[in-house]
Amino acid sequence: MEFLKRHKEPSGKTLIKVPSETRYINKVSSEILSGLARYGVDESRLFDIRLCVEEAVRNAMVHGNHCDKKLPVRTVYWVDNGVLNVEIADEGPGFDSTDVADPTLEPHMLKNSGRGVYLIKKLMDKIEYNEKGNKITMTKILK
Amino acid sequence: MQMKTEIKNGLTVCYVEGEIDINTSPGVKKSFDKLISSKTPRIVVNLSKVTYVDSSGLATLVEILKNMRSYGGRLRLSDMSSKIKSLFEITKLEKLFEIIADEKEAVSTFV
Repeated sequence: MEFLKRHKEPSGKTLIKVPSETRYINKVSSEILSGLARYGVDESRLFDIRLCVEEAVRNAMVHGNHCDKKLPVRTVYWVDNGVLNVEIADEGPGFDSTDVADPTLEPHMLKNSGRGVYLIKKLMDKIEYNEKGNKITMTKILK
Repeated sequence: MQMKTEIKNGLTVCYVEGEIDINTSPGVKKSFDKLISSKTPRIVVNLSKVTYVDSSGLATLVEILKNMRSYGGRLRLSDMSSKIKSLFEITKLEKLFEIIADEKEAVSTFV
């Protein structure tokens, strides 16, 4: 599967579709940050957006699609009234985000899992998972 | 990602440059493997030229810390940008690491 992108669907949303290979992670974030250039977003927010998009895409590739290169990760983003909305979906069976251990608690601090989800929860303004648990929707106020 | 190493006041100071993410973390770990296998007792990692760290990068630094602790080694991180420092604060990793504002202080007070 080649790196695919399709700008501006009729709805005004942009779809980015990539294979489940980690080398494509920053292509997704770069596309979104490029799309935000005209909104005058400050560096700190851009850092947060990049980080959360990359964490979510990584989770979709690694935990959702188990790095199966044939399976795509679909990212859709749009800006509505100064708020960035990003949906990231994988082809996996889904997961329960409440099952992720809190990585800031003493027994888990030396473990290396759950920190990406935790950062997303802390740095984005709002996140939601679909019922199946294989699509996350994140929002961030741009100013 | 690039890393160079200098000896200052008998300490090993590592200068990491670039981004520490899922794709570059293996290289960072590899760069430290030699220092860890020779049981380097005290290491200061100057992060002034690190512009981005993700959860894989944080995990790699935790792994390096764990490996050093296994032989009684100590690790200090210095010169973090305010944004990267905020990630250590949010994730509470600031409680796990010795984080020093600048390299000079990190080296001069590392006993």
